[in-house]
Amino acid sequence: MIKHLVPPPQWRFPVMIVLAIFIGLALFIFKVSNASSYLSDNPETCVNCHIMAPQYATWNHSSHREWTNCNDCHVPHNNVVNKYYFKAKDGLRHATVFTMRAEPEVIFIKKEGAEVVHKNCIRCHHQQITDPKLVATVDGHSSHTQDRKCWECHREVPHGRVNSLSSTPNAHVPLPTSPVPDWLKRYTDKNKP
Amino acid sequence: MKLFDKRPWLAWLMFFATIIVVFLLGLLASSIVERRAEATFVNVPRTDISEFEPRNEVWGENYPREFQSYYQTADTSFASKYNGGAVIDMLELDPRLVVLWAGYGFSKDYKQGRGHYYAVTDVRNTLRTGSPADDKSGPMPSTCWTCKGPDVPRLMNEHGVAEFYKGKWARLGSEVVNPIGCADCHDPKTMNLRITRPALIEAFERQGKDITQSSHQEMRSLVCAQCHVEYYFNKKTEEGANYLTLPWDKGMNVEAMEAYYDEMEFSDWTHQLSKAPMLKAQHPGYEVYSTGIHADRGVSCADCHMPYKSEGGQKFTDHKIQSPLNNVANSCQVCHRQETANLIANVYDRQDKIIENRDKLEELVVRAHVEAKKAWDIGASQAQMEDILMGIRHAQWRWDYAAASHGASFHSPVEIGRVIGTGIDIAQETRIKLARLLAELGHNQEVPYPDIETKAKAQQFVGLDMERLNQEKKVFKEDVVPEWIKEAQAREDS
Repeated sequence: MIKHLVPPPQWRFPVMIVLAIFIGLALFIFKVSNASSYLSDNPETCVNCHIMAPQYATWNHSSHREWTNCNDCHVPHNNVVNKYYFKAKDGLRHATVFTMRAEPEVIFIKKEGAEVVHKNCIRCHHQQITDPKLVATVDGHSSHTQDRKCWECHREVPHGRVNSLSSTPNAHVPLPTSPVPDWLKRYTDKNKP
Repeated sequence: MKLFDKRPWLAWLMFFATIIVVFLLGLLASSIVERRAEATFVNVPRTDISEFEPRNEVWGENYPREFQSYYQTADTSFASKYNGGAVIDMLELDPRLVVLWAGYGFSKDYKQGRGHYYAVTDVRNTLRTGSPADDKSGPMPSTCWTCKGPDVPRLMNEHGVAEFYKGKWARLGSEVVNPIGCADCHDPKTMNLRITRPALIEAFERQGKDITQSSHQEMRSLVCAQCHVEYYFNKKTEEGANYLTLPWDKGMNVEAMEAYYDEMEFSDWTHQLSKAPMLKAQHPGYEVYSTGIHADRGVSCADCHMPYKSEGGQKFTDHKIQSPLNNVANSCQVCHRQETANLIANVYDRQDKIIENRDKLEELVVRAHVEAKKAWDIGASQAQMEDILMGIRHAQWRWDYAAASHGASFHSPVEIGRVIGTGIDIAQETRIKLARLLAELGHNQEVPYPDIETKAKAQQFVGLDMERLNQEKKVFKEDVVPEWIKEAQAREDS
């Protein structure tokens, strides 16, 4: 099979050049898009894309900051395969929207994502909503976990109510720094006219 | 390659397909680079701010919301049970302080501080800074300006750090005119938090820590720790300079700092009544905070004192730095879901309990000072008094550590309870020694507690001529300060 793909001798040189460009470009994209970081749970990954700055900033000023990162709430945690499948699916959609410049001014969560977040609320706050003491005193507390989303009542958690791309203009967010290495910067600075 | 021998067009197809893919990949790459470049324009300032720009108004042109909320620190309407932004004359409230600080500036005048906006005005107005007539007179060194505003980093950069710490307070009267503000905490290029006061950096270095490695969250407390800490003026660091130094080399708790001071035989002043070599706790807010539960949970100073705020559709950090009790919704309730009244009651409850014992300790130390004076009066020798004076020094240091670290009874109630507890123990041990000594010297009855019902009576008791001090201050405010302001105006206009 591999033999079939090897080009005839007179083609080898141009194919090699084109393939090398192809691989080089792919590596470049891998580097500038911080592609490897998408495998991690680091919240800084999500602000690789600057339109996520308000989400990062509001989370960083919330009580959830000390205990959760973006993935704790926004990807499923029932198993590892599902986690990365969901992450890849969601991530590719985000990347496409971002590249096409189709992002809306106010980002709303999709139905599927909302389901995931809701399940994650319950995953961590299981004790609070199934505590028999509370079931007895708070009427219908456990049934409410079925017929509505947590944030229909807990509306400020954790991003607050104001939600738009321009809601946090001067917030300090760890946006990706320049991909140009220091030595190159020093060199170009030195050779400035 | 039979495949291509039979179908030469296939080779061409593959060749051109690869070229098209490479071309599209190139487009994608350039779009990623472009959108990344966009991120650097998320925050584009309107005007350039120079490296040490001290005028908050200039920064305010770029960051109007932050500036305007900073400006609200001028508001003095909020007073909580014990603190807040209103002026409280602490000596009036608690005249025992006059006796505790007898012979030291604080017995003349001590008021609860107002907001950052008043940093410069209040330091000019207090009787503690005296009424200097020229650059070389007055009781205070220039080091007293260190925390008063963003003119300080500018001056330190122009003249050098040690040079700044030299000379008298009045020398820099026309230089430090802008109150604590933007340039004290922010880098003008990136708006990142930065440390501008060398004392904190030096203290970290002596502990073998690199302050530049601090995280953003740590910086949200460390920029406050530049000033809200315990410090002293070291005269041995550089000839002629009152070098601002943090006593953290042995650790940051009350005993470690005391051991540090004892070892170098440092004292802020000698007490007028007891002749004890005294320590004045400044405001070890950061040290006390770091022993508390909030610090342990990763909550920074800014989280409560500068919480997130939204105005219309925009969110920003509230730069009205104030008591969180005046803004419970945005500070406490981000984490604590209880009612405002409940939360405030919880704070007051802790403060009440701490102050109950603090008052007790205070009274014991006043008694010890008065009894020590009696001992001197009836002929005690230096050798007999030595132990007792150390006891008074240590007891009052603990009282002051608890009193001066504003908000301590909230920041770390258990630690402060412990500190006051050990203070009461030391004070009583010292008074037992004093009682024995007095008996030995032939005085075997109670030394009467002085009549210090009011501030005026207490100041009379320690022999302060308040009328003269107030008169001199009035002349100073009318004659000298306007000259400073005029000079500063001319400099800033040029």
